[in-house]
Amino acid sequence: MLGSYRAELIKLRKRSAVWVLFGAGLVLSLIFGYVLPYVSYLTGDDNPQTTGVPRAEVLRGLLPERVLDNTIGGFPVFAGALSLVLGAIVVGGEYTWGTLKTVLTQRPGRISVLGGQLLGLFTMVAVWVLGIFVACALSSLGIAAAEGGAMNWPGPLEIVEALAGGWLVLTMWCLAGAVLAVAFRNVALPIGLGVVWILGIETLLAGVVSSLLPDLEVLSDALPGANAGALVFSVTGMVAADAPPGVRDAVGGGRALATLVAYSVVFVALAAYTTRRRDIV
Amino acid sequence: MMKNAVQCRSLVVVRGDREVLHGIDCALVTGSVTGLLGPSGCGKTTLIRAIVGLQAKVTGDVEVLGLPAGSPKLRGRIGYVTQEPSVYGDLTVTENLRFFAAVLGVSADDVDRVIDAVDLGTHATARVDQLSGGQRSRASLAAALLGNPELLVLDEPTVGLDPVLRRDLWDLFHRLAADGATLLVSSHVMDEASRCDRLLLMRDGDLLADDTPADLLAAAGTADIEQAFLTLIDRKTGAR
Repeated sequence: MLGSYRAELIKLRKRSAVWVLFGAGLVLSLIFGYVLPYVSYLTGDDNPQTTGVPRAEVLRGLLPERVLDNTIGGFPVFAGALSLVLGAIVVGGEYTWGTLKTVLTQRPGRISVLGGQLLGLFTMVAVWVLGIFVACALSSLGIAAAEGGAMNWPGPLEIVEALAGGWLVLTMWCLAGAVLAVAFRNVALPIGLGVVWILGIETLLAGVVSSLLPDLEVLSDALPGANAGALVFSVTGMVAADAPPGVRDAVGGGRALATLVAYSVVFVALAAYTTRRRDIV
Repeated sequence: MMKNAVQCRSLVVVRGDREVLHGIDCALVTGSVTGLLGPSGCGKTTLIRAIVGLQAKVTGDVEVLGLPAGSPKLRGRIGYVTQEPSVYGDLTVTENLRFFAAVLGVSADDVDRVIDAVDLGTHATARVDQLSGGQRSRASLAAALLGNPELLVLDEPTVGLDPVLRRDLWDLFHRLAADGATLLVSSHVMDEASRCDRLLLMRDGDLLADDTPADLLAAAGTADIEQAFLTLIDRKTGAR
């Protein structure tokens, strides 16, 4: 599996699609986390977006003390969708390029190949999370320096906890993309279905359940997006009113963590079972 | 006595509810180039997949390099080139081969050797999706050559290539065979038959002949393989 993992890293490092997705995630994090709020802070009372929010509060959200909120706040929804696309492209690409047959005929076994791919994805998602954190930290540092804001950084344990939580959220969505790609032996269909699920269906279900069918809350609280949002809410400790879309305290942090781990394990098991048992076409 | 690298006995393959190979018996002699010829849809790729161990619902015996087809111990001893180029279009030729070398646990030095072998040195840094169809096929072949496999199974590797490239590739196949490798090369182009040491002629899931080109022509009493193929079909039809 080590050879497959090393090979996967060689491939992932060189693929432009991977870096385009990483760049999109990073740019969106900066735009929604820093650029738009900072512009609204600078335009002050003239900006209808910040009506009712004190300027000092807007600035506070951009300073180092809130860097973790801005780093992983978008992970449950938009970065999660990009991560799902990453999993679908990397795993589904093996079917569309026709490379799986060649690889599986030769040295490693099927599970080794899949394991190497997934470990490669886990590594790249970690690099992605760290990259977004560094970019957010530099942005908050720059704004604090420009505005004379406080340089109160979160503690090392808080940083590790939040980044690990963010990594788990993106990894879970990435695995969802990977297992859909294995199931459909394709790239386009898993991306379409996955993105519609993350951006539309989960939100719709949560809305319908909370307004019309409160008895079904137990089901909507078991969905991956709800638990991703709950984990981010828990590890950042953000205020509900400040929470970005998809981040809410649907369930407790411990339960959200256990649920995301369970989803990840199920996705890996399904991908492994299907890869092992199914005929190669 | 010549050793067989591959031995198929009573090989039957079922796909869905249809039997697509009907009891094939054949052998590939070690260190030879065997052509697998027949029209499109006759079962060539299915036979190849059974030999390399990718085909489900196989009955009968398929022995490859002394082991049952698909045995984990065969990995690394077989090189397989599929009909469609099986390389990543968004990576360069060298990046592709470094990837496959890492997967196979083969030294990265082998990458330069196989690039030279398929004459892609001038395109080593080009992205595969910017290469011609023939160049992509050769990139795929280079991946299969990594680690010097004992058995090379090539599914229509010369389709779409110009005559010069086809000649060069067949020369390469014979050099590899001279070095001890066994090659099975499928094609639906009958004029490639004369380049093979032995021929397997297939039609509708049946093996019509397993012979040398010269013996096949003599047996059919014809001057070319295409005519021999038609004669064999006529004889078989007449015998029914």
